[in-house]
Amino acid sequence: MLEHQEFIASPSFNVGDRVTVKSGHPESHCRTPVYLRGKRGTIVEVVGRYHNPSLLALHKPGLPKLWLYRVRFQQSDVWEDYDGSSRDTVIADIYEHWLSSDEEHLNVSP
Amino acid sequence: MQRKVNDVGGLTGSQIDQAEHDPTFYEKRIDALLMLLTGPKVQAFTVDSLRRAIEQNTPEDYSKRGYYEKWLLAIRQLLVEQQILSNEEIDRRIEEIKQRKGH
Amino acid sequence: MSHPKHHDHDHDHDHDHDHDHKPIESQQEPAGEERFLEQALRELLDEKGVVTAAQIAQQIDIQDSRTPALGAKVVAKAWVNPSFKQDLLAAPLETINKTFGLTINTPLELVVLENTPDVHNMVVCTLCSCYPRMLLGIPPAWYKSTDYRSRVVIEPRAVLKEFGAHISDETEIRVSDSTADVRYLVLPLRPQGTDMFTEAQLEALVTRDTMIGTAVPKLMES
Repeated sequence: MLEHQEFIASPSFNVGDRVTVKSGHPESHCRTPVYLRGKRGTIVEVVGRYHNPSLLALHKPGLPKLWLYRVRFQQSDVWEDYDGSSRDTVIADIYEHWLSSDEEHLNVSP
Repeated sequence: MQRKVNDVGGLTGSQIDQAEHDPTFYEKRIDALLMLLTGPKVQAFTVDSLRRAIEQNTPEDYSKRGYYEKWLLAIRQLLVEQQILSNEEIDRRIEEIKQRKGH
Repeated sequence: MSHPKHHDHDHDHDHDHDHDHKPIESQQEPAGEERFLEQALRELLDEKGVVTAAQIAQQIDIQDSRTPALGAKVVAKAWVNPSFKQDLLAAPLETINKTFGLTINTPLELVVLENTPDVHNMVVCTLCSCYPRMLLGIPPAWYKSTDYRSRVVIEPRAVLKEFGAHISDETEIRVSDSTADVRYLVLPLRPQGTDMFTEAQLEALVTRDTMIGTAVPKLMES
């Protein structure tokens, strides 16, 4: 039986990169919350490679693994009338296919 | 933008009920059942599929149904999806239990 | 059937003991139809050997043994031992396992978020209820509520006020949303006036909510 060699891609993004969260049609099971779609943030950690939750959700093996990042957003960039300190931030774990380096990435599916 | 029932970040909410609710034995049984079904020995289904099943609730069901109730219904759905149990045998057993308990 | 090992919980494999378990059914059953479903599933799965009653009882014991006490030990040790703290921040799970003689095993990533005078961390899972169960046990009901999950990302300061915690406007509130494979433990700020405290006394100050970020450790009023 032929062994399927899994090609391990290197992460597309590094700590410090500015990224935009895509805002296209989500998968059936999606871990990118709506409140962050289309928002611009900064990579603070390259967490590692994990099985694709959208595929796992459908009893599929979840391969190829996806790079996962912790991305930090200024709250004032996320919410129109954010009522806290301008220092405040929110961080979420986002999979690579949901991120783009482009400044504007409207309605593109991950 | 289309929002799933569980995707609630940023929506309007009310005062948070901070009352401590120690899990009941019933809730612990459901929790244990889930851990074992998704654990390495059994691997009946994934936690991701449980989340997906819960996301299939209507907005009304999502807010009306209790936390563990949603888990229990999702567990049933997934056991059937994975052909570990059938809906017929589950329903039959429920009827039997009701009769046993004099319902 | 084979699946990748992908769980948001850990499995304790060194729990080999023999003792009396409570009978599976007890009081506090819900009023609705769901209790019949729960019993039906449990019976059928036991009969088919998929999940036995004994396994459920044992799993309940394992879960009951996981409480915020372990998290409190981790925090107190980090407060008194700078080299432990450094290791903890760099490799949390590995350090905890090594230091406390545990075998917590999970594919998830545990991240420790250190509070400083400049940054106050809070944790949420807006999409469901992901929580560092391997350290703190089962999350409180409010953590799982839609009210907390919807509000803490958009108005963390209002939520903190509701919980009775006071954070300066000069301090950044940093909310971490556990959307994927990361689980978070907040390392709260050590309160002033605790220089002479023993590690055990410090542990007593570290409540569950201080490790989620909705509270700050307080000295008890005498």
